[in-house]
Amino acid sequence: MSLLDKRIVLVTGKGGVGKTTVTAALGVAAAAAGRRTLIAEIGGARRIHALFGAPESTYKIAPLTKNLSSLSITADEAIEDYVLQQIRVRALFQLVFRNRVMGPFIDAVPGLHDLVQLGKVFDLSRQTKRGSLEWDLLLIDAPATGHGLTMLASPLSMMELTGRGPFYENARLVHDVFMDPARTALALVSLPEEMPVNETLDLFARLGPYQRQVQLIALNELHPEPFGALERWEQARGSFEASPAVAEALRLTDRAVARARRQRLARERLTGLGGAPLRELPFLFRRDLREADLLGLGRRLLGATT
Amino acid sequence: MSATRLYICCGSGGVGKTTTSAAFALQLAMSGQRVAVLTIDPARRLADSLAVGPLGNEPQSVPLERLNPAPGGQLDAMMLDMKATFDDVVRRFAPDAESRDRILQNRYYRFVSTRLAGSHEYMAMERIFALYESGQYDAVVLDTPPTRHALEFLKAPERMSNLMDEGVMHWLSLPRDSFGFRALERGSEAVVSVLKRLIGGETIEEIAEFFHVFQGMWSGFRERSGLVRALLRGPNTRFLLVTTPAPAARAEAQEFVQLLRRDGLPFGGFFVNRVLPAPTTNQALSAELLPDRPAAIPQADWAEICAGVRQATVNQARLAGSEAPALAELRREAGDAPLWTLPEQDTDVHSLDALAAVSALLAPAVAQLSRR
Repeated sequence: MSLLDKRIVLVTGKGGVGKTTVTAALGVAAAAAGRRTLIAEIGGARRIHALFGAPESTYKIAPLTKNLSSLSITADEAIEDYVLQQIRVRALFQLVFRNRVMGPFIDAVPGLHDLVQLGKVFDLSRQTKRGSLEWDLLLIDAPATGHGLTMLASPLSMMELTGRGPFYENARLVHDVFMDPARTALALVSLPEEMPVNETLDLFARLGPYQRQVQLIALNELHPEPFGALERWEQARGSFEASPAVAEALRLTDRAVARARRQRLARERLTGLGGAPLRELPFLFRRDLREADLLGLGRRLLGATT
Repeated sequence: MSATRLYICCGSGGVGKTTTSAAFALQLAMSGQRVAVLTIDPARRLADSLAVGPLGNEPQSVPLERLNPAPGGQLDAMMLDMKATFDDVVRRFAPDAESRDRILQNRYYRFVSTRLAGSHEYMAMERIFALYESGQYDAVVLDTPPTRHALEFLKAPERMSNLMDEGVMHWLSLPRDSFGFRALERGSEAVVSVLKRLIGGETIEEIAEFFHVFQGMWSGFRERSGLVRALLRGPNTRFLLVTTPAPAARAEAQEFVQLLRRDGLPFGGFFVNRVLPAPTTNQALSAELLPDRPAAIPQADWAEICAGVRQATVNQARLAGSEAPALAELRREAGDAPLWTLPEQDTDVHSLDALAAVSALLAPAVAQLSRR
C-alpha cells in the first residue's frame, strides 16, 4: 500500500535533517499524482511557502501549487478554534479568553498544546466539501524527534490525565486515527551520519505502539561516492608520491572515502527498520530548491528508481 | 556573591550544540578553571566522549589527567534529570512534610514535572542556579534543550512563572464550595464552567488540588525564579548561539540577537559549526601526477580511483562554495559580535582525545570571553 493511500503522514526526525524538505517533496509528488494534498506546519513554523514563492503561511489554508495547499498551525489558534467549536458562543469565548487567568491555565494543562494541533489536523482530515472529503492527504511537518514523539503521544497522555469526560472522548477520537496504520503513516528522516542514525534507531525504539505506523525512512543528503572500490583506497593511496600538490588531493579523498563509508554504514543500519522502505535522497548543491527539484525528490521518496 | 560565570549555549537541533558545549567547557578547564557542564543530551554520546559513566543530576568528574598534557582545571559533567530536579525544588520549598508528600504524590504533579511545556527549560535554569549558588565553580556551561528555534528557550522561564503567577494560584486554590470553586472575580463561574465542560470536572479538581497545596511553597518558588531572571541578565552571564552555515541560520541569528537585546540579555557571540574549508585550488589534479597502477588493483577500480582523486579538490571547492553565501550573510549579521568558526570534523567526536582536539580550536573564544 502506497504512502499516498494514507489519510495522514507525519514527518519527523532529528533537528536539521531536512524534515521540511521531505514534507514539501512528498507534497509535490502527491499533488502531481492527483491527490488533493494539504501540508500542515506545526508550532507556528512557516518555512514551506518560501519553497514555492508563495505568501507567508497562516492558520488559513492557502494554495501553493496545483492540488497542493498549506497552513501553519499555532497552539493558540488551534485552542481558540477548538473551544469555539465546543461552546459555540463567541461571547462566552471572549469572556473566558479575556480572563487573565486563562492563558496561563491553558499552559498548565500538560500536552494540551500538542493535542489541539493534532486535533486540528484530525478535523481537517475529516472536512468535507460538497459531500466528499476536501483533502485526500494531509502531511504534517512535525517537530523534531523528542517533541514529535510527545506530540504523537499527546492524545494518550490526555486520556491518562483526564480518565473520562468530554476531553477524554475527543482525545480518544484523535488517538484512534493516529494509532491506525491504515490511516496514518510516520515518515522518519535521517542523515547518513552516525549520530542522526543513532537517534533514528532510538526514536524507533521509543515509538513503541506507534512503530507499526513507520512506513518510510528517508535518508537525506547522500553525497556521491568518490569511487566504488572503497576497500582498495588504503592500498592505492600508498602508491602516490608525497608531493604538496598531491597531498591535498589525497587528504580530501581520505575525507570523501571516510564519508562514503559512513554513508554505507548508515544505509546498512537503517535498512529493514520496522519493515519500512529506505529511500535515499541526493545532496543537492543548490540551497534554493525549486518545485521541479522537490518533485524529483518526492518521486524518489515514493519509490521511483530514477 | 558568587563570581561564577555562566555560559548558555543556545541553538536549534542538529547544529552540534552538545559537542560544542562540551568542547567549550573542556577548553575552559584547559585554561585552569573549575568548570561544570550541564547537558540535556539523552544519548550516551556525550558521556562517552567525556569518558565518564552514565550522566545524571549529580556531577561526574571528567578524568582530565588522561589528557597529555593534563590541564590544571577541573571539569564536572551532569545531565538534567527533570523529575529529580523538580522533586528537589518541592522538597526545598514545602513548608512541611505533609504538603511535600501531598505534592509529590499528586497525579497532576507527575504530569507537570515531566511533560509540561517549558518545565524542561525552567528546570535547567533551576539546576544551573543551584550550581552557581554552590560557589564551587569558576564557570558553568549549559547545553540548552534542542528546540526548533533557539529563541524558545529564552521564553520558557517567563512562561513558567506566568503559569505559577499568584493570580492563578489564588484563583485556583480558593476554598471550594459545593460547585468546586468559589467565584471571586467577575466571570469566574463562567470560566470554571467552560473549563469543566471542555476538560472534565474531575481533572479540574485535581489540578486545583495541586495548586492548593502548592500555594504554601509559592513565595519561595517565585522569589527564586526572580533571582534566576536577574542572574541571566547579570554581568557574569553570556548567551552563545551555536549554528551552522545553513541558510536558515541567518534568519535565526538575526532574531536571536534582536531578542537578546530587547530583553537585556548579554550576548557572547556565535559559534559557527561544520564550516567546510575551501581547498587551495579548484582545479583537478594533473594526470601526470598519477602513479602507475599497483599490480594488486584491477584496472577498472584503478581508473575509478584515479578519477576520484583527481576530482577531490574540485568537489571540495564546489561544496565549500555552496555554503559561502550563507556564511557571508552570517558574518554581516554578527556585526560587532564575535563569530568563531569550527571546521567540519571528519568523524563524530567519540573520545576525550577527540573532544580535546575540537576544544583546542575554541581557545581564542575562551580567551576573548574570559577577558570581559
